[in-house]
Amino acid sequence: MKALINKAAAVFFHHATWAGYWETVFQMVNPSWRDGYYQARVKSVSTLNATTVQLVLSPQKRWPKHTAGQHIALTIEVNGKLVTRVFTIASGQKSRQDEGNIRLVIRVKKDGALTPYLSALLSKTASKSASKVSVNISAPMGNFVMPKAALLDKLETSSLEQAAPEQIKPIVMIAGGSGITPFIAMLEGLNSASSDNLQSRPVHLLYFAKENEHLLTQELAEYKRLNTYFTYELLCRQKDGGVEQRLASHTDSHWMVCGPQSLYDEVANTHANLPPANDASLDSEHFAAFPVATAQTSGEKAFFSLSHNGSSLSVDNQQTLLTQLQQANRPVTYGCGMGICHQCQCVKKRGVVRDTRTGALSDNAEQLIQLCVSQAVTDLELQA
Amino acid sequence: MITTISTNTVNKSTVNKSIVNEGQVLKGSSSRLNSGKNANEQTSQRSSKDIDVGTKKTPDYTKLATQLDAVKTDVKSKIGSEDAAYIRRVILAQRGCEWTGRILLMLGFIQPLLWVVGVLSLATAKILDNMEIGHNVMHGQYDWMNDKHINSKAYEWDIACDGSSWNRVHNYEHHTYTNIIGKDRDFGYGLLRLSNDFRWRVKNLWQFITYVMLSVMFQWGVSYHEMAAERVFFGKKKDNRKNQLSHAELKRRFFSKGARQLVKDYVLFPLLAGPFFLYVFTGNLVANLLRNLWTSTIIFCGHFTGDVQTFSAEDCVDETQGQWYYRQGLGSSNIKGGKLFHVLTGHLSFQIEHHLFPDIPARRYKEMAPQVQAIFKEHGMHYNTGGFFKQYASVLKRIVRYSFP
Repeated sequence: MKALINKAAAVFFHHATWAGYWETVFQMVNPSWRDGYYQARVKSVSTLNATTVQLVLSPQKRWPKHTAGQHIALTIEVNGKLVTRVFTIASGQKSRQDEGNIRLVIRVKKDGALTPYLSALLSKTASKSASKVSVNISAPMGNFVMPKAALLDKLETSSLEQAAPEQIKPIVMIAGGSGITPFIAMLEGLNSASSDNLQSRPVHLLYFAKENEHLLTQELAEYKRLNTYFTYELLCRQKDGGVEQRLASHTDSHWMVCGPQSLYDEVANTHANLPPANDASLDSEHFAAFPVATAQTSGEKAFFSLSHNGSSLSVDNQQTLLTQLQQANRPVTYGCGMGICHQCQCVKKRGVVRDTRTGALSDNAEQLIQLCVSQAVTDLELQA
Repeated sequence: MITTISTNTVNKSTVNKSIVNEGQVLKGSSSRLNSGKNANEQTSQRSSKDIDVGTKKTPDYTKLATQLDAVKTDVKSKIGSEDAAYIRRVILAQRGCEWTGRILLMLGFIQPLLWVVGVLSLATAKILDNMEIGHNVMHGQYDWMNDKHINSKAYEWDIACDGSSWNRVHNYEHHTYTNIIGKDRDFGYGLLRLSNDFRWRVKNLWQFITYVMLSVMFQWGVSYHEMAAERVFFGKKKDNRKNQLSHAELKRRFFSKGARQLVKDYVLFPLLAGPFFLYVFTGNLVANLLRNLWTSTIIFCGHFTGDVQTFSAEDCVDETQGQWYYRQGLGSSNIKGGKLFHVLTGHLSFQIEHHLFPDIPARRYKEMAPQVQAIFKEHGMHYNTGGFFKQYASVLKRIVRYSFP
């Protein structure tokens, strides 16, 4: 039916979707109505500590159920421009069912300067009462969730509910900084789980952060009080040493790591170095390494990996992307080569590029770029 | 991949404003240009009126580029929510006009006047869609908004010409090689002789009639022309241009978009109207005609007025940013008018500003115009502007003048 309506929109009104054709009209009534996005009302914005903001959202009814550990893309309009950032949902299914809410925990840069993105959001909520502000969100995404199946090899097919308690593998969560967010959501899920097996699954959390910057510690204490199978350690690398020694006593567990690239590398190394007889398995979610790039010059020659329509190649930061794609004999459409004609335009899914005309750096989020005036600043993913 | 915090490390405030990109070379202009037979006969930039304007001083191209870049940077910093709200308002107005028009057409049986208002309303909707929305959005003027529908890749317009074919030829060939004889096929649309750069042929004697026909059929003219019809259908080859799409693909696009338009305007919409088939059929026909006449007139006033200059391919070899600006400025002409007039022309009444800054949202050209005019004056460049009737008369004169050897 929907396909039929959209076909009609294409035939009669040369628009790909019927909703797209009417979008501006709907926005008269509801400014955050947007074809292809879900809407969520902002319930509250509060500060957790000097560098962290908590955002409570109430997604619209048709927003799909999420699983604890998944993330969403949050889109808001900043000075006419739609800006998208990805955040982990720091709450479980239960708060969504009971109160209709999801929560995001957002780290603000340390120097106290809010990003333009957050300040726009905050000023929006400051000017009106927060509950009247709506934002756009994506459907929940990601596979970093509590393993469903029992984790003993011989019982791969059976579900956790049916497994005998002694067959259930304990879980070790390894969080770094704001990487605590998916685990908080999973702990909420664990606490409200339907089956005893799920609740009685031993979970141990190793939470690394800078001293006194551990987030949501009260909630962790509360989960520990409610659930005797859950234990945690708040760790600080300078004081408590690296990850490897902490993990030495957990080689029979399923490891889940969420945090910066460096933490993930350390855990992955430890995992790789375990003797083969060991039973540990590993799930991970880590932040993209995101170098702080300087805008002034393209600087020293460096190489980045570019994924172009699914296949990848290496590009440098000296020549334009168009030149390098042509040299690699990739099929690219192009025109003027000087940024006028938009023939070589394509969708950048992620990564940062420099505009060779102005030296300006792009966002990390999805946007249209012109290959002929763009140079790589980070690894890139493009879709023609 | 979670990018919770790290994504925030780069933001717009770190933008380095190194503006001037003078010395940037117009790529690909050197080796493959000179093969057209016209190129050999040409001398440097000359006024098409055959009057010697060579007494003008040569502008300081570097300074020209710096100044115009400064105008651009200044306006670019202002672009934001106002512009986003503006284009959405225009789209809203377009939807209003379109539906008013389509409904009133069917009510023509009650009162013929309703039909007339309906036609005008529908024609306005088509003009808004083609000019202020389609042309400008497809130029990438609103790509910065990151909107799924309002961007140059996604937009398709209510005209026979396939959007992406137009995008390719117009944005690339016409805007990069503006008024370079042999490269910019928009100069005369391959049908009209508008300067001495082209050899006179007998068929030019009746080119005024050709011009009227082109205006009436403008959407088909553009569509046919943009796909380089003479090459695709008759196998003419020009070796100075690369074909980036196969002929079969071009043909497919021409026929599929063209056929879709015909079916939509003259079969589907009339059939939907049931007993009022004829009201809608003729209404669509007249609305399309009005749109064709309006758009062709505005576009001819933008490039074919008497004082507009043409250039040869050799002039533009290793062209700097300043020289590029110079050529863009002298190859275009503006039309004076009121606010509504500018909106209906898609701000192509500011053709000079449009050619200097093709991807700045067109509503900004008005505030840029006085600065551009002052800069042109300083460099002794002619800023070609005038009222609609003056400019249009000058176009007609040009068409008639070059009908003869």
